[in-house]
Amino acid sequence: MLLAREVLFFGGKGGVGKTTLASAFALLAAERGQRTLLVSTDPAHSTGDILELSVGSEPREVLSRLWAVEIDPVQEADHYVADVKARIADTTPPRLMAEVERQIDIARVSPGAEEAALFERFTRIMEEAGDRYDRLIFDTAPLGHTLRLLSLPEQMATWMSGLIGRRKKVNALGRMWRRVAGAAAGDGSPPHDRVLAALEQRKARFERARTVLTDARRSAFVLVATPERLPLLEAEKAVGTLERYGIPVGAVFLNRVLPDEAAGEFFERRREREARYLDQATATFSGHTMHLIPLQETDVHGLAALRRIVATLPESERGALS
Amino acid sequence: MRWWSGLRRRLRAAREIYEGMFVAPYRSQIYREYLEQRDLFLLAGFSDLLGAPNPVAFYTLELYPELIEQFHQWHLRLGMEHPPEGGFRCC
Repeated sequence: MLLAREVLFFGGKGGVGKTTLASAFALLAAERGQRTLLVSTDPAHSTGDILELSVGSEPREVLSRLWAVEIDPVQEADHYVADVKARIADTTPPRLMAEVERQIDIARVSPGAEEAALFERFTRIMEEAGDRYDRLIFDTAPLGHTLRLLSLPEQMATWMSGLIGRRKKVNALGRMWRRVAGAAAGDGSPPHDRVLAALEQRKARFERARTVLTDARRSAFVLVATPERLPLLEAEKAVGTLERYGIPVGAVFLNRVLPDEAAGEFFERRREREARYLDQATATFSGHTMHLIPLQETDVHGLAALRRIVATLPESERGALS
Repeated sequence: MRWWSGLRRRLRAAREIYEGMFVAPYRSQIYREYLEQRDLFLLAGFSDLLGAPNPVAFYTLELYPELIEQFHQWHLRLGMEHPPEGGFRCC
């Protein structure tokens, strides 16, 4: 059962119904008594539209036991930069401050800054979730982006370790130098190294995120696709990438499958084509659980429509939670 | 107590000879090594400034004060009163 895990990610090609399924699972979890936070990292931010509730950049309880938040990369990057500036303000010589701020502002508009800030917030949410929420459900941006984000904890922790190792060496040599040189060594790093502390704190957070992400009992990635060529291809590639990074795939959902009542010559022809894609998907995802969600008569928005989607989820996913 | 101060003088002399022979070269070596490691640390933290990819560039913003301070000392060491064009405007 997917909801037995603390953290679920929903991902897939744009427009296949990630937000719909993520919201349905969040609603299900909340109604089963779990304090649930639904996090949207998709720049399209359709969570609010589907729930027909207003969702902002800070978690808000939109229904009983259901919190929702939409993370905006631009805002996150601004926050992060303001935070860093405040942190270094009292240790930076005043004559350097203007230039330091200018350089940080340059870094703020460099490529990757927003992705990095998004990642920073993402690890923070994972870290802080423990006491406040029982379940975290991430509705992620279209796949490529998300996979990169999920691979970051590993790359980052490795890189950070290198940097921390170097920093420690610098500090050790600085101490040695001060010892042998006595009063001759005027400057040197201060006894409490704030830079080292900041680096270590960040590294520890990346590692904790990575621990949760790779533990199949605690988290899972749920792939969403429609029975069509490109969404399936993208999901197949995603399974490969996730396996390479050691992130467990919880299930594959095929959304908008033609229901039996869709009849007529046109639908029969579509159904034939769809049957081929379904066979193909069954073969491709043979090692994973696959669920089909029927195409709905109307668009999915509002709680009533979302509950209809919940009703189409397999019994095994809807059981009582422990 | 004369023999005592004589002994102390001789001990001090011996110590100075010892330091001059063993600690002094070692001292400058440590200092060089220290400076070298400091440069390497900044290089690792800011490799992107030299065009090498650095996945954590955005997570090392706290290091800028140190980088700019070292840059400032570097151009002073080279005898440049003002920083070279295009670099940090440290002074």
